[in-house]
Amino acid sequence: MDYALQQLLNALAFGAEYSLVALGLAVVFSIMGLVNFAHGEIIGVSAYSVFLAAALGLTSPFVAVLLAVAAAALAAVAFERVAFRPVRYAPTTTGLLTAFGVSIVVQNLFMLLISPKPQSVSILNGLNQMWFFGPFAVSSLQVMELIVSGLTILALVLFLNRSTLGLAIRAASRDFATVRLMGIRANRVIATAFAISGALAGIAAVFIIARRGSVSPDLGFGLVLKAFVACVIGGFGSLAGAAAGGMLLGFIEVGLLVALPQEYGGFKDALTYVIIVALLVYRPEGLLGQRVELGDKEI
Amino acid sequence: MLTVDNLVVRYGAVSAVRDLSMKVGRGELVALLGPNGAGKSSTINALTGLVTPASGRIVLDGQDISRVRTEDRIRAGLTSTPEGRHIFANLTVGENLRLGAATRRDPKGVRGDIERFLALFPVLSERYGQAAGTLSGGEQQMLAIARSLMSRPKLLLLDEPSLGLAPKIVVQIFDFIGELKREGLTLLVVEQNAKQALRFADRVYVVSAGTLRYEGPPAELADEHGLFNLYIGG
Amino acid sequence: MSQAVENTAPAVAAAVRPSSALTRSLIGGLVTSLPVLAIGLAILNFAPTYYTYLALGAFVNLIVVVGLQVFMGNSNIANLGHSAFVGLGAYGVAILSTPLAMKKLSIPNAPFGFATLQLDPVSSALIALIVVGIIAAVSGKVISRLSGVAATIVSLALLIIVHSVFLNWTDLFKGNQAFFGIPKVVGLPWMLVFSVVVIVLARLFKDSRWGLQLRASAQSPQAAAALGIDAKKLRLMSWVLSALICGLAGVLYAYFAGTISPKLFYFQMIFNTLAMLILGGMATVTGAVTGVIMLSIGLEFIRSIESGVTIGSIQLPQLLGLSGVALGVVIVLCMAFRPSGISGRYELDELLSRFLRRNAK
Repeated sequence: MDYALQQLLNALAFGAEYSLVALGLAVVFSIMGLVNFAHGEIIGVSAYSVFLAAALGLTSPFVAVLLAVAAAALAAVAFERVAFRPVRYAPTTTGLLTAFGVSIVVQNLFMLLISPKPQSVSILNGLNQMWFFGPFAVSSLQVMELIVSGLTILALVLFLNRSTLGLAIRAASRDFATVRLMGIRANRVIATAFAISGALAGIAAVFIIARRGSVSPDLGFGLVLKAFVACVIGGFGSLAGAAAGGMLLGFIEVGLLVALPQEYGGFKDALTYVIIVALLVYRPEGLLGQRVELGDKEI
Repeated sequence: MLTVDNLVVRYGAVSAVRDLSMKVGRGELVALLGPNGAGKSSTINALTGLVTPASGRIVLDGQDISRVRTEDRIRAGLTSTPEGRHIFANLTVGENLRLGAATRRDPKGVRGDIERFLALFPVLSERYGQAAGTLSGGEQQMLAIARSLMSRPKLLLLDEPSLGLAPKIVVQIFDFIGELKREGLTLLVVEQNAKQALRFADRVYVVSAGTLRYEGPPAELADEHGLFNLYIGG
Repeated sequence: MSQAVENTAPAVAAAVRPSSALTRSLIGGLVTSLPVLAIGLAILNFAPTYYTYLALGAFVNLIVVVGLQVFMGNSNIANLGHSAFVGLGAYGVAILSTPLAMKKLSIPNAPFGFATLQLDPVSSALIALIVVGIIAAVSGKVISRLSGVAATIVSLALLIIVHSVFLNWTDLFKGNQAFFGIPKVVGLPWMLVFSVVVIVLARLFKDSRWGLQLRASAQSPQAAAALGIDAKKLRLMSWVLSALICGLAGVLYAYFAGTISPKLFYFQMIFNTLAMLILGGMATVTGAVTGVIMLSIGLEFIRSIESGVTIGSIQLPQLLGLSGVALGVVIVLCMAFRPSGISGRYELDELLSRFLRRNAK
């Protein structure tokens, strides 16, 4: 019972983290068709910002959290301004490859300017404690992850449904030109979307740093691959799909961890992807995606 | 209200609009007619700013908006309802209307306007929370026009409001357009469907192959032969 | 038009006007591989051994990039997992052809009795390629059904799956450690031969009706479908062909290097080869060749700086990551300013014949 609860919490916490990152990807993709491979590097920038701040003397975890989120949002907007704007109206593959290129540049800049080796960051370790509720011991980090993710998604939903800019972002995912006709500046919509995407990544970065206690150049890369897979299995371009896909991925991973005998533990990642791909065979448009046929009219 | 002087629109080497000049006076309903490929869409695109004209001036209510960005023309008072309606299919009726008011800073006024339109269009009121993509063609056209009106334009530009709609619905749409004119709105209606457009028009421009062929009151055009010749004439 | 050319063109141009599309494609492929041949023969005859070693690595990259071009250039879908097939080819021949004595040391517990099996290099290569083909067919079936972006991401998933298997199935693949002892039967001559073969193959596919149809459906899916073109089948074809070529590159690499490890067939190879193809130009085989030549030279130069050069009396420090930054910058700048790459839309032979025709007038 205790074990099952713990694993459930694990699955939920991992799922929440994947959902946050996947949502960041989906927000950008849905309005611009950009597959942002550099999203992982935004997490990296966020993490390295905290590392540098701590190295320079920062001691307050609270400030570190704010810094992580702000740095991520700024980095995302900066990436867009510098690297993605020139390819804004280019075909999807071009944007995808550009983002891939940015990812390579930034990862290597981390190596070049800071260090190829992992660097320890302990400023957020306070978040990662054991809490005791009667007979149960839970990781404070996981509980916080769940609560924060939930609140964040709620905030995102409110923003997208209540605010003008949020409505504009949703509208832009289908018809950007007409959004401009409404008098809303394209750059504003896009920058906002990237800022949101960055903020989501920053929140994820906080939890990653708290859990690992270190940063390395490829911190975000592996995570973002999983987030992409989550997006695809949830239904690419759909925000709900990204969140659902992230959760599903968390459950599959933890499920495999539980089911696999010790010596096959290394195959967890491979099997996760195999399961996802198998799901895609069964349902190529993803769980929440809509089957789009060539002759379909816009709905 | 609107003055267009010597508009020239080129796509590469091809001239879509040659030296077009027109005027729309305050409170007038002016119709811009012409067959496909006549240059109507290019003129509209130049007016909305989606296309930069090779030369010419566009003045709205005394302000030269020739160089103003698309997003800012609506703030200048020129709102356009694009061809094919382009309502936001994945947003609700209500959300579409709210986006129409995106440039306004008076939430109370916006709410008031929304209520006014819902009263005017019971059907929109019924479907207020529905995804706009599920509306019928005629309902979408009503929504598109209502959405444009949310920005309280000085001049409303309607691009082919009859496109793809059943004849009975077209009549209803133009009934409504006539109603808008009666309320004092300045309108520029671009159409292929001459008959309906001529019902309430104060003046008519007919354009063909990029140049202006006729300018004057609709009465002189009402004779079908005349229009036919203008459309087909060289 | 052909009349005009015959009457006014010099004999060369007339002779270069072949009779059928197949011949034209064949000649085109050979022309495209001329620079490769030239460089290869020059290195073979004149360069010191160190450069031969470098060149072999570059030729492997060339074959990989050509393989990548076969899929990406024709289907317009980004493939980010091709090094999986390179690895499969390499490990395939490693497992099959390594001498028994070596195998006892490396993978004594190999399943299916591989530890006691040793095949000659050719058979090993053929079997390895068949395995690559099967895996390509299965994965291709999935990928060809997916939209462009989903397909790209699944190609990534494939890479991670294969890499994970290499790392974790230690009984068969020796895990993280280097798998050594593979017979070194391939040198520069064979590498050159296969490079030319692969280039010609890529051209033949590109100009074949399948290649043409695939490119058509990549440009306008609706129109192509209306013409009865089965885009899924064509994507599958190009995926398998691409995988086989990459697998061949892996086989050749194993046979020249004698030692392999999983790290070689992971993201570093993806970055390198992708940058080469993008720089050279995705749409043409010439682009693949151009990109490999340019970046191989460029990267060597940057790598020497990366490892810390001494200029005069100043010792520059190690700048790890410099080549990565350069690669990424190349990709980003290319996509922003010249997405079609250096060679653009035209193959080398097409450019030459246009040039000749213009001079003939």
